Amino acid sequence: MKIQFRRSYLFAILGVILATFVIFFGTIGQSQAGSTPAENRPEDETAIDWTQSKAIFSENTHIILPSKYTAANLPPPEQDPCLHCHITGEDKGLWTPLVRWIFFGGAGLLFAFGIYRSSSVWVNRAPWKPITTRTADWFDSRYEISEPLSKFLSKPVPKFATRWWYCLGGITAFLFVVQGITGIMLAFYYKPTPEAAYSSIQFIETQVNFGSATRMIHHWSSNGMILMCTAHMIRVFIMGAYKKPREFNWISGMLLLLLTLGFGLTGYLLPWDQRAYWATTVATEIGAAIPIVGDLILVFARVGWDIAAETLTRFYALHILILPLVTVASMGAHFLMVRRQGVAKPL
Amino acid sequence: MADIDTQSNDNSVPFYPDHVSNEAKVVIGFSVLALVIGLIGLFAPVGLGEPADPMNTPAHVKPEWYFLGLYQLLKYISKTAGAVLPIFAILVITLWPFIDRKPDTSTKAYRWRAIGVAIFMVILIAMTVWGEVS
Repeated sequence: MKIQFRRSYLFAILGVILATFVIFFGTIGQSQAGSTPAENRPEDETAIDWTQSKAIFSENTHIILPSKYTAANLPPPEQDPCLHCHITGEDKGLWTPLVRWIFFGGAGLLFAFGIYRSSSVWVNRAPWKPITTRTADWFDSRYEISEPLSKFLSKPVPKFATRWWYCLGGITAFLFVVQGITGIMLAFYYKPTPEAAYSSIQFIETQVNFGSATRMIHHWSSNGMILMCTAHMIRVFIMGAYKKPREFNWISGMLLLLLTLGFGLTGYLLPWDQRAYWATTVATEIGAAIPIVGDLILVFARVGWDIAAETLTRFYALHILILPLVTVASMGAHFLMVRRQGVAKPL
Repeated sequence: MADIDTQSNDNSVPFYPDHVSNEAKVVIGFSVLALVIGLIGLFAPVGLGEPADPMNTPAHVKPEWYFLGLYQLLKYISKTAGAVLPIFAILVITLWPFIDRKPDTSTKAYRWRAIGVAIFMVILIAMTVWGEVS
């Protein structure tokens, strides 16, 4: 069976990727902490040597002057020299950027339309296969992936498995992906030291574009993930889907639940506010109450007897490196087992 | 693997595109929910408490909500018991497939397990809420 995937899926995927890039680089991908052009202005303009014809890095400002500026051709002194060509900043005019947006934007739209148009069968020329088929054939002639891929994709899913309570596990996995994406965005700005953690989160919430939104999603998806994981576990338990031959899958699922709780525990400390600090103190004290190994657990978790900078670093490393790796591996095993054994048939 | 139905027939749908599109709808639904939560976050952010002060324990220190039930329990049983009990419970739950091996013969088993889960969850939620309000 040849792979058929619809052209609209291709455009949808490209559109999502494009929108993601636009939103990402337009918002999270840049910091708002830059200074305004007024601050770039030098104290004493006569002190700058404008006669250099090469690009200079003036010590009074951190502006790099393009090499086209010479003594005879200075940039307007009241304006940041960069703004002579570029659009960013407060001193922008209207017409130049407008003409540029119209011209280049129009050219871009024309280019996009051209891609769409040429991906369909061209009316006035010899017809060729749709681009999706041609792409699939290009890969298939090199990797011969068509057969195993169609076998994978055509696997029958029993109709009973389309009931809503069978979605809970997948929702948990989706929330994990959401946590990963929002977590990466937060990790771009979070500073894992006791001195800087609190203010870095304040920075995220106030200065970063959509930082407060990202943090809100990350906070509530963590709770949601624990709830969905528990709900999935309850569903599997009630329907007896842990029985032979699925015992080991149940154990891997329990491991995933514990890892999720571990994510919650390690992530909760990261804001380094009073609630985080003392809640973690209480939680690690509970661990310390375990006989024989309690003190060992406490010292391993806290990297010492008290919660300090080392604790924060260790919890951060656990939260962004170790727990994600172990969780992804466990999820892989869990999904493989479900795939291999199929969804348990209910009575 | 006797209960696995690998034949393609009226009782099943192919993974792609049918099941994938079903799952995609669920994913889109939850994405919309996440974006709504994000939108709320633009106006009422999560916020922070007071900066951490290791010298100063606040009056009502509480763990995160998923540990509140255990924390409340710990106020009434000894510390050792309170640490060992969850570990023992997790061990029992993890090894449950080896404790309950009898194959289900009717949906009565589902009913009994649902009742057990309901009792357990009610106790857990009650302890959690109690931990939150006290």
